[in-house]
Amino acid sequence: MSLKARQSKEKRFQFAGLAAISIGLLCLVMLFASVLSAGLPAFQQTFIKLTFNLPADKLDKSGNRNPQEMKKVSTIGYTKVITEQLKLNLTKAGLEFDQLSKKELKNMISKEAPAQVRYAVLEDPSLLDREFEMVLLANGRIDGYYKGRVTKKSAELDVMVSPKQLELADQMKRAGILETRFNGRFFYWPDASDLRPEAAGLGVALLGSFYMVLIVLVLAVPLAVCTAIFLEEFAPKNRFTDLIEINISNLAAVPSIVFGILGLSLFINFMDLPQSAPIVGGLCLTLMTLPTVIIAARASIKAVPPSIKAAALGLGASKVQAVFHHVLPSAAPGILTGTIIGLAQALGETAPLLLIGMVAFVREYPSLSPEGIFEPATALPVQLYNWTVRGDPAFVERASGAIIVLLVFMITMNLLAIVLRKRFERRW
Amino acid sequence: MLDTTVDNMIEEKPKIIARDVKVVYGDKEALRDVSLDVMDKTVTAFIGPSGCGKSTFLRCFNRMNDTIANCRVSGSLIYDGQEISAHDPVTLRARIGMVFQKPNPFPKSIYDNVAYGPRIHGLSKNKADLDGIVEKALRRGALWDEVKDRLHETGTGLSGGQQQRLCIARAIATEPEVLLMDEPCSALDPIATAQIEELINELKQSYSVVIVTHSMQQAARVSQKTAFFHLGNLVEYNDTGDIFTKPSDPRTESYITGRIG
Amino acid sequence: MNSLIVFNLIVSVFAFFVCRAKASRLREKHTLLVASNTHWGWYGFLNVFIPTLVLGVLIHYVGIYFINSGIRSSTALEFASHAEYLLVKENVNASVILILDEISQIRFLSSFIVIISYLISGIEPALLAVQSGTTIEHLDLVVLALKTKIMALTATLVLGVVIALMQAQRSINTVSANYNAREKVEFVIISLLGLSSLIAVLTTVGIVISLLSETINFAMMHSIVDFLFGTVWNPQFTSGEVEGYGSDLGILPLLWGTLYISFVALAFSVPIGLYSAIYLSEYASDRFRSIAKPVLELLAGIPTIVYGLFALLTVGPLLRDSFTQPLGLGSNSDSVLAAGLVMGIMLIPFVSSLSDDIINAVPQTLRDGSYGLGATQSETVKNVIIPAALPGIIGAVLLAASRAIGETMIVVLGAGAAAKLSLNPLEGMATITAKIVNQLTGDTEFESPETLVAFALGLSLFVITLCLNVLALYIVRKYREEYE
Repeated sequence: MSLKARQSKEKRFQFAGLAAISIGLLCLVMLFASVLSAGLPAFQQTFIKLTFNLPADKLDKSGNRNPQEMKKVSTIGYTKVITEQLKLNLTKAGLEFDQLSKKELKNMISKEAPAQVRYAVLEDPSLLDREFEMVLLANGRIDGYYKGRVTKKSAELDVMVSPKQLELADQMKRAGILETRFNGRFFYWPDASDLRPEAAGLGVALLGSFYMVLIVLVLAVPLAVCTAIFLEEFAPKNRFTDLIEINISNLAAVPSIVFGILGLSLFINFMDLPQSAPIVGGLCLTLMTLPTVIIAARASIKAVPPSIKAAALGLGASKVQAVFHHVLPSAAPGILTGTIIGLAQALGETAPLLLIGMVAFVREYPSLSPEGIFEPATALPVQLYNWTVRGDPAFVERASGAIIVLLVFMITMNLLAIVLRKRFERRW
Repeated sequence: MLDTTVDNMIEEKPKIIARDVKVVYGDKEALRDVSLDVMDKTVTAFIGPSGCGKSTFLRCFNRMNDTIANCRVSGSLIYDGQEISAHDPVTLRARIGMVFQKPNPFPKSIYDNVAYGPRIHGLSKNKADLDGIVEKALRRGALWDEVKDRLHETGTGLSGGQQQRLCIARAIATEPEVLLMDEPCSALDPIATAQIEELINELKQSYSVVIVTHSMQQAARVSQKTAFFHLGNLVEYNDTGDIFTKPSDPRTESYITGRIG
Repeated sequence: MNSLIVFNLIVSVFAFFVCRAKASRLREKHTLLVASNTHWGWYGFLNVFIPTLVLGVLIHYVGIYFINSGIRSSTALEFASHAEYLLVKENVNASVILILDEISQIRFLSSFIVIISYLISGIEPALLAVQSGTTIEHLDLVVLALKTKIMALTATLVLGVVIALMQAQRSINTVSANYNAREKVEFVIISLLGLSSLIAVLTTVGIVISLLSETINFAMMHSIVDFLFGTVWNPQFTSGEVEGYGSDLGILPLLWGTLYISFVALAFSVPIGLYSAIYLSEYASDRFRSIAKPVLELLAGIPTIVYGLFALLTVGPLLRDSFTQPLGLGSNSDSVLAAGLVMGIMLIPFVSSLSDDIINAVPQTLRDGSYGLGATQSETVKNVIIPAALPGIIGAVLLAASRAIGETMIVVLGAGAAAKLSLNPLEGMATITAKIVNQLTGDTEFESPETLVAFALGLSLFVITLCLNVLALYIVRKYREEYE
């Protein structure tokens, strides 16, 4: 073969390699572009700002401002009042709304709003019969209109929203009553039912994920470090320790869903722990993350040069002292890196949590006391799975938003691990 | 002839008595039937070509061979009137200090490096006491003047020769009686080597020093006694002067004249 | 029980400090002790804590055993079933706790209070107080259980206190220059380390037991031959009550879907991952490598649910609009191809970083030999490095295959729910993992073959991936040994 042919072959080969990497990176870019474009709108929400003058005769019939008695008025009562107030506000702004039916008018505002107003009033009964401003969520479809999900054309076919409502919304926007802006509530409100995607938030999921990651941190890391130390430094070389080693590397490659099945039968059916609770999820994820952290910890313990240990032994330190005083501190950055990667893995894992009932619809925050880990909660990845499988496209948008939150956590953790590794990379 | 008898009478009894020491790695024999006495306040040098078993023998003294799996030591090694195998390895190593081939300071401050031994053995009552021990050890390690202003900087930041002197100071800090040195200068430049040799010469006043070296010149410069090892055998053990001027074994002579090794 | 722990902790901590102080005093006379002061402290602590803890746990369980056997042998009751016995046991336990709470209103040091009040006035006052509020069923059993419990508490407390004090005294006396307390303390430490390494083994045992036992339950309700060789997957959740069961639960369509999707994923990821690894390890400049490698690793850190959503929202509709609909093959956005491609993207960094490690393990001397003969870089790669690294690369591909087979979220979201034996990659197909999720989520009756089949599926999945992993790890390990 001529040299020229060989050289062009060389070029082609190199190009193929570059192309492969480019495809890999392109996929990453596509993934991020798709997630960002679908998810960024979730951080924005359309709000309606109303000036309220709530009539006390409707909401506090006995007139003594006693919250216990005012509780008798249900959200339905508030819905009527709010609709009246909306009309007053529209009239004041000089907007026409006669062409809208009563129901259409009512549905301009989220179904979450009555509960929100009721809660505010019960907290502070003095709000009745005086003017105050309150910002309410707009209906999810109207919100979708400003994010391009809903158009006037699609609204004609939609039973949930009509073009007339959208027209009014446009007028309200011009009048400054309605605006689309950043929605902090997305981070701390709980999930909401199928009919009010605009009110759904990540509060319960974030808290649940936090609890689970905490459990993994508290359980998996000490166990993994102890195991790694034992296997690297103290274990006698025999068939049983060989078995443990093979077992750990296999366990690291067992599909995550199998840990879900284990959690279901061990923790829920056998040990009677509550379903949907962070403790069960945390335990499952602990067992799942354990091999990852063990392998990382072993690698970094192994990387500590034996001369350090020899120096300590030569001074009359016992083996346990040499390991705990010198080997472990030197291995700590590597262990930390492995831990962060393990925690990131646990934070993003979904499949096992589906099996132990964390897909349940949970609106109540688990308590902040230690008992909270036994109370129902969801987790970030499960919450977004849950939203994905609901019909309304507004929930898909929220799921994508949740992915952005998840990815921010993951990337921060992974970057932290990479930086730590670079920072503490020790040349012996 | 008369001189040697007088010498023997003046010398104290040996620090370590080795009789028929044999070391086996797996099924490989590394050392065969070695017998010699290590004297107090003397520098003893072990010389010989690589793989002759000199380091292996040295590591028997403080039971560092224990840390190697499938290494078996047999024969008799008596230290302080007791078999070395009967000593607790931890206390033994505190009394028989060791300096390794490559300087191996802990990745901690200079102070913590020296203070580590005294700390784990509880040699100090309080901080001032410990400060004193550290200063004394560093002074005897001929390092004090160079590091006294940066005791809390990391020990790995020192130069190679300084690191090795730090390791010597660290070994001295536990007040050992015997100091084992396994080719302590092999990783150092000539100037640092000269400093270490000078230090060894001073250490002789208070300790029994055993040094493994592959450099005959070094053995001739620092030691009073020299043992020549070859292929796992102790070929000859005598006063350093005698070994280099009138070796009794032909193998020693070939090594010294550069024909083997 | 908890009063005892509080007391023991106090005595243990006391022993810690006394032993440590004594050791430190001894040290002024002797220069060297085998153990440090802290070792002595822990020696005292553990010497008190461990025996009393063991004792407490032992007596606790002996007490429970007596209570249970008392209930079981009770003459007044004939248990028709085990469940009935469990119910009575639970009732009795609940009543006992109620009465104990009545005796001691505060939780702290409650055992002390219980014992003292029992010695003073017996259990009758508390019994009457509780009875005035609610009726207690099986009164004789409750009384028996209560007395046993109080006896156990008394025994634990008395023996615990005695042993704690004795052990404290003994360990303080042992403090001496020559006794090797360090060895004892370190034995406990090493034992704890060893115990923690057993967790990993127990996890595997737990997985195998839970999968096997439920699979056996399943096999008793449904023919295992049908499961293994059935070509139809059609669970009927309602038909169970009618007569027998009408469900077809054959694994073959699911296995087919799993393998098909995994094949697509590997066909996409292996060449790209391998070429990336070759480029990164043989061609790329250090700067490029230092950027591209972390970015690829980042790709590996993305949770699979994100990929699942990517398949569902982007890749699936894209394939539908560009292939399925124009070709007139339906309007399905869930497809084998979509799930397979996205899974392939997920596997790229996995394959590339594994291959990178393996290619880097090929000794430089082999490369030098090839260059020395005048070979170009690509010829060296193709003729020397790849053949040398082949076993390792095969191992990496097998590990990737195992990942693909066990992957759940991508197929749940992107591959559809229809189990079928079809060759068309633009159709949706279900996989084993997707069906496990299907059968085990939602409110279903646990003891039905339709639910239990999930465990049989799980077992099949576990066995398949285990075989792949063992084989892959064996190959990779052999390969590493060759070049070490």
